Amino acid sequence: MALTPGISSIMNTKSLIFTLALLLIGTSACEDDFIGRTPVYSIDSENYFNAEADYRNALIAAYDMLQASYLNVMLGEIASDNTLAGGESATDVIGIQQVDDMIHTPVNAQLQSIWNWMFAGINRAAYLLEFKDKTEFEGKAQIVAEARFLRAYYQFELVKWFGPIPLKGDERFALGDETSLPRASVEEVFAAIENDLELAIPDLAVNAPQTGRATKGAAQALLGKAYLYQSKNAQAATVLREVIDSGVYQLSDDFEDIFERTGENGPGAVFEVQYTDAEGAGFGCLQCSEGNVAVGFNGIRNHTGPFFDSGFSFNVPTQEAYDAYEPGDQRRDVAILDIDAWAAQTGASFGIGNEHTGYYNRKYIARKGDSNIGDQNLTNPNNYRSIRYADVLLMAAEALNATGNDELARDYLNQVRRRGFGDLDHDVNASGDALRDFILVERRLELMGEGHRFFDLVRTGAAAGAIEGFSAGKHELFPLPFEEVQFSNGNWNQNPGY
Amino acid sequence: MLKQLFVYVLLLGTVTLTGQSFDLSGIIKDGSNGDPLIGASAIIIDSEPMKGTVTDFDGNFTLSDVTAGNKLQVSYTGYETQVITIQQAGLLVIEMESDVQALSEVVVIGYGTQQKRNVTGAVATVDSEVIDQLRPQKVEQALQGTVAGVNVTTQSGAPGAGLNIRIRGVSTNGQNAPLVIIDGYQGDLSTVNPTDIATITVLKDAQAAVYGTVGANGVILITTKTGDKNRPTQLSYNTYFGIQETSRSLNMLNATEYGLLLNESYAGGGQELPYPDATGLGFGTNWQSEVFETAPMVSHDVTVSGGSDKMTYSISGSRLNQEGIVGREKSNFTRNTARLSLGVDLSEKLKLTTNAIFTNIDRDALSENGLGAVLFNALNAPPTLSLRDEAGDLSLVPNTPGLGIEVINPVAQIANTFNDYDLNKLNGQVSLDYKVIEGLTLTGRVGFNTANSEGRNFSKQINYGGKVFDITRSSVSQNAINDNNYSFDLFGTYQKNFGGKHNLTTTAGTTIFRELGNGLFATGFDVPNNDWEFADISLALGTSPDGARDVGSYSYDERRLSYFGRVQYDFMERYFLTAMLRRDASTKFGPENRAALFPSFTAGWIASDEAFFGEEGPIDLLKFRVSYGILGNDQIINNGYIGTLSGEATYVFDGTLANGTAIGALPNPSLQWEEAKKFNVGFDLALLDYKLNITADYFINTRDNLLISNIPVSGIVGTSAPGGAAPTVNAGAVQNKGLELAITYQQRLSKDVKLNLSYNITTLDNEVLEVSNGTGFIEGGAFGVGQLAPSRMEVGQPIGYFYGYQTDGIFQNASEVEAHPSQIALGAEAQPGDIRYVDVNQDGVIDPNDRTNIGDPIANLTMGFNVQLKVKRLDFSAFAFASLNGEIVRNYERALSDVNRLDYYLSRWTGEGTSNEVPRVTTAATSNGVFSDFFVEDASFLRLQNVQVGYTLPFKAGAGRNPSLRLYVSGNNLLTLSEYKGFDPGASSGAPIGGGIDYGFYPVARTVLFGANLSF
Repeated sequence: MALTPGISSIMNTKSLIFTLALLLIGTSACEDDFIGRTPVYSIDSENYFNAEADYRNALIAAYDMLQASYLNVMLGEIASDNTLAGGESATDVIGIQQVDDMIHTPVNAQLQSIWNWMFAGINRAAYLLEFKDKTEFEGKAQIVAEARFLRAYYQFELVKWFGPIPLKGDERFALGDETSLPRASVEEVFAAIENDLELAIPDLAVNAPQTGRATKGAAQALLGKAYLYQSKNAQAATVLREVIDSGVYQLSDDFEDIFERTGENGPGAVFEVQYTDAEGAGFGCLQCSEGNVAVGFNGIRNHTGPFFDSGFSFNVPTQEAYDAYEPGDQRRDVAILDIDAWAAQTGASFGIGNEHTGYYNRKYIARKGDSNIGDQNLTNPNNYRSIRYADVLLMAAEALNATGNDELARDYLNQVRRRGFGDLDHDVNASGDALRDFILVERRLELMGEGHRFFDLVRTGAAAGAIEGFSAGKHELFPLPFEEVQFSNGNWNQNPGY
Repeated sequence: MLKQLFVYVLLLGTVTLTGQSFDLSGIIKDGSNGDPLIGASAIIIDSEPMKGTVTDFDGNFTLSDVTAGNKLQVSYTGYETQVITIQQAGLLVIEMESDVQALSEVVVIGYGTQQKRNVTGAVATVDSEVIDQLRPQKVEQALQGTVAGVNVTTQSGAPGAGLNIRIRGVSTNGQNAPLVIIDGYQGDLSTVNPTDIATITVLKDAQAAVYGTVGANGVILITTKTGDKNRPTQLSYNTYFGIQETSRSLNMLNATEYGLLLNESYAGGGQELPYPDATGLGFGTNWQSEVFETAPMVSHDVTVSGGSDKMTYSISGSRLNQEGIVGREKSNFTRNTARLSLGVDLSEKLKLTTNAIFTNIDRDALSENGLGAVLFNALNAPPTLSLRDEAGDLSLVPNTPGLGIEVINPVAQIANTFNDYDLNKLNGQVSLDYKVIEGLTLTGRVGFNTANSEGRNFSKQINYGGKVFDITRSSVSQNAINDNNYSFDLFGTYQKNFGGKHNLTTTAGTTIFRELGNGLFATGFDVPNNDWEFADISLALGTSPDGARDVGSYSYDERRLSYFGRVQYDFMERYFLTAMLRRDASTKFGPENRAALFPSFTAGWIASDEAFFGEEGPIDLLKFRVSYGILGNDQIINNGYIGTLSGEATYVFDGTLANGTAIGALPNPSLQWEEAKKFNVGFDLALLDYKLNITADYFINTRDNLLISNIPVSGIVGTSAPGGAAPTVNAGAVQNKGLELAITYQQRLSKDVKLNLSYNITTLDNEVLEVSNGTGFIEGGAFGVGQLAPSRMEVGQPIGYFYGYQTDGIFQNASEVEAHPSQIALGAEAQPGDIRYVDVNQDGVIDPNDRTNIGDPIANLTMGFNVQLKVKRLDFSAFAFASLNGEIVRNYERALSDVNRLDYYLSRWTGEGTSNEVPRVTTAATSNGVFSDFFVEDASFLRLQNVQVGYTLPFKAGAGRNPSLRLYVSGNNLLTLSEYKGFDPGASSGAPIGGGIDYGFYPVARTVLFGANLSF
């Protein structure tokens, strides 16, 4: 009898071990079920593109990055002889100040943003292109063509700013590519841009299915611009004339109205980057804003008065730029706001920021009448008129002049001038190189404040003479971000001179 | 003589009355010196119902209806419990032997307990006595300065604001918060009522490896109060009323000083003087005194506890209401808690313990620590502006370039801030212990947390006169968040002694943990009447313009399945060895790395037990300890191993927003846990009859495979797109080394005077060993407006060090400027009176490549000091904390010409030889505002955290129970010694990269409490 407790405890122990073992086996068996759960409410990026809607949604993502190009426009203008950095103080956004003074180095947060954001655009377009053959549906060709247009647009920005960039074809860049893919030469990048646009043009609609989407004309104009940047003038002339001859676009009579809300997506709009004031934004993610961030940055410092909202007084035109306009040129007062005259006329008050010139970049400064949703300086709804018909005419004129067709070149140039002056008295009658010079000056005046000037000066070899601090052989390109050269682990060399 | 005889007769008389009940009186004393023990418990454990009492101030007790043969149990903390069989009535004198093995105190070590003497890991405890003395509003405060190796920093002095606990330093750029286990289940320290806590145990070394993949940051084990067995119902009530005020105001310029400074600044920039006649400006508005107020705080808590020989219970409730020193009720914090704890012996072998805690929190908050924070505005608003304008309305800060568009009237800001946060939380556990056979116990436990919170923020339509905080359309944003988790533990513990000398304890078990929840967010526009009273989405019917989404949500479901085992072996309780192994499988990691093994061991040797030490001598205990182990950290984003379409894709088609899908954070399929390799060696030494105790530890913690979220990668992969992020990659290593020393000394100076002293000191040496992302560094933080990132994590440097320009005084004259490399790349060419920056790389220009290490926010030395003195009925305690050798960045000065400034500008450079520290003032362009060591200050401080004086009122011993009433006055944060110019050198956002940058931290309050502790 004395043994009983012992036996029972042994039995207990045995049964306990058995139970424990069972429990452990049980829990191990269910480990895969328990831990291998699928994440709740999420879509796997590698199992997408199963329906038309998926392609449409991915296309929106590719368009989204266009809004981040506000910085390209703003910084491109500041880099040129048209404007100064301005801002609150000499240290306000130091990266912008340095570009203005041509003392920028590879450590520059704004140049890094341009690099990052434009590549993000490429990758979003490439995501769609990577899966372009997965699902068939009617209308896919147009969507694929738009993705190609967008990729070309982003690549064109990058080649303008940084020169050679890596290329990957119809798939996304992956981590590690920075150490293996070379920076393709400028020629190769342009070849890729031409290829995308040539593939896109046949599939794009003449009239966009929705306002804001890329059209055949937009792709042709961008292709013409790409040719022009490579001095492929004959090809540029051909494709740009197709845009002109299509009859889809006209110069709207009211130059001032083009840059107001009512003039958005007007008859002269070949391609516009769309912005809205419908959603808030913050400084933590400027590229996330649905508004045109540059407009608030360019805005009048501490402005109180009619018509304009205030802003941060960046990108202020120089006296030289103001004086570049001939008397009677109605475009001057549309492009440049003389703030003292404005204050005298309306009783408005304003503040004086860094490098105050007395002028503001009137096309892209904040206006009243939007929702002013916070941060109101980041949510201005002004579209960026990326490719205007006037630009197309001037590019065509330049290409035609270079290929010996001065007559048509003059015609295109004078169309632009007649609208600018509102009369026929300012037509240009020059030919040859003189005509070329007129065309280039006209580009500056017509496109003042729109971010083209620096790159026009560079591609025509005129930058060193026009921009203070510009060193030929160095400043044609901006430096790769310091980090990128590091990330590439010796694969990429820094641009010359930096 | 006659009297003595009388007593004798009385005693004889009682003997004859054996078998009948009688009153029993007694006195309980300390056996060594005869001092009465106050509050010792005396219980007749075999009476039905149970009778018991506690001793009064003179050590006396009386129990009625006692029968000879009854068993009286006498117990007192720190003394050996005695059971006495009552023989007869009369005065019983009981002498208690102090429990020399004060080390028989039991320490919670995770899935079990251990006698303190036998603990071989680096473990520290804080008991309820310390909590009683500190009277913290939040539990975390009780750990500051009381435990070596634990550093607590406040994020803000606002009521209810978060605190960061760092055990042995910052080891990762990710989440550094320790794991908190409340009564065995994973919990949250921030919502616990401090008075409900019985002990806090901190596992600092590899001993925490029993928690595997979640233990890398250290583990804090909380046990809540339970009733005691065989103890009559005890009721205790604690209350205090406190008055809070700011612990610091900064020395700002008054209106006259400000006006004159501005004149000088404008003259320097060649501009018209703003105050041509500065006479009559006077002192102007002191914005700090306009926003800082004296705020009340009230706390009540009641606990009822007790137990029979089969069950224990403890029920408590509390309420804390604390107004803020800024904004009063606009930053109010209210916490209500209710708690039930029950322990039942269901049978000889089966024990049930359960507890449940309900917490309700209501918190309102003001904008803090950033551009636009209330205090930021109070420091930058001009003193020449009056609080109210002529119409009696709160004045508007003018919209001028000199004042910018971010500085607004802080008083108006407080008035226009409306928000509310409510949390209701229920957590608890049910645990069953089954004693299978002698030595073998099986424990099953279910722990749970369920929390629902609601947030509401009203954006009032408001015009501050053209400032960024203007709101043109009112809105109310609401959210509802539901967080739940549960854990199930099943483990067995087997204890066995072999041959009298070998002791073995083995523990093995499994834990299942799952957390799941969701959040729902929505905004309604156009709040009726632009009024908080109507700020609810049900009334705010407006929506965003076309296509914009005013709603959002998230969900999660994360799980962990673990097995663990532990073997504790000792030989003669002299040589100890513990080995632990844990296997975790977690949903945080990719399929290829889903499961991980975490081994560790600890060993100890009680050298003082060796024969060569001898019996006599001053050394009572000398124990050496060593431990090494690998722990994990899995606190990263969920689902980082798969790519999801969580990015943001919004564009405008046809004039309305079109929402699409985009890739979110890039995945890293080979994601795995961080690996914390922890080494610790130390000793415990007790001297002079355990009066002097010394614990010392040296540790080396190396964190490998650091999980770096959003690791900087080449921009070509597109991670900077909206909603995008770089992958989380195991790509770094950080090492923390340090020394901890804790000394306590307890001495009874005389019959009535008792002294306790304790001191602890911790050194910390942090170094980043690896950042494998191509550049070797990661940036973070923000300084000023639009400047390069000021903080870095970089190989060879402390994590989060400050990366900026080094200064070399002030240019005194033009020839000095001439002789120095150009500073134009920083914004402007230097002039005499400007800061001279060092050409660190000596390339002849000052540019961003000259940035270097200009300090780090990590305090290399922290220490705590505590003194407790009891003189008769009077008690006194004081706690002080010091933090040395850390740096903090002054970032609350808006770099604009017309904002107010600190008074150090009175000693600015005004001409050659006037100053070599503070640059000139001018409205002209300068580079003086770039991030440099001019803005980095020594954050060392010594703070008197708490001083308390209490008096226990004399009460006569009553029959049955002895009431006790203690009244006290307590002062918190009475004094902070620091050279830092800002509000609070001890504050930090807690961010590993970007911490220690001060946008105007809300200072901790200086508080005076008047309290009472009543128990009967």
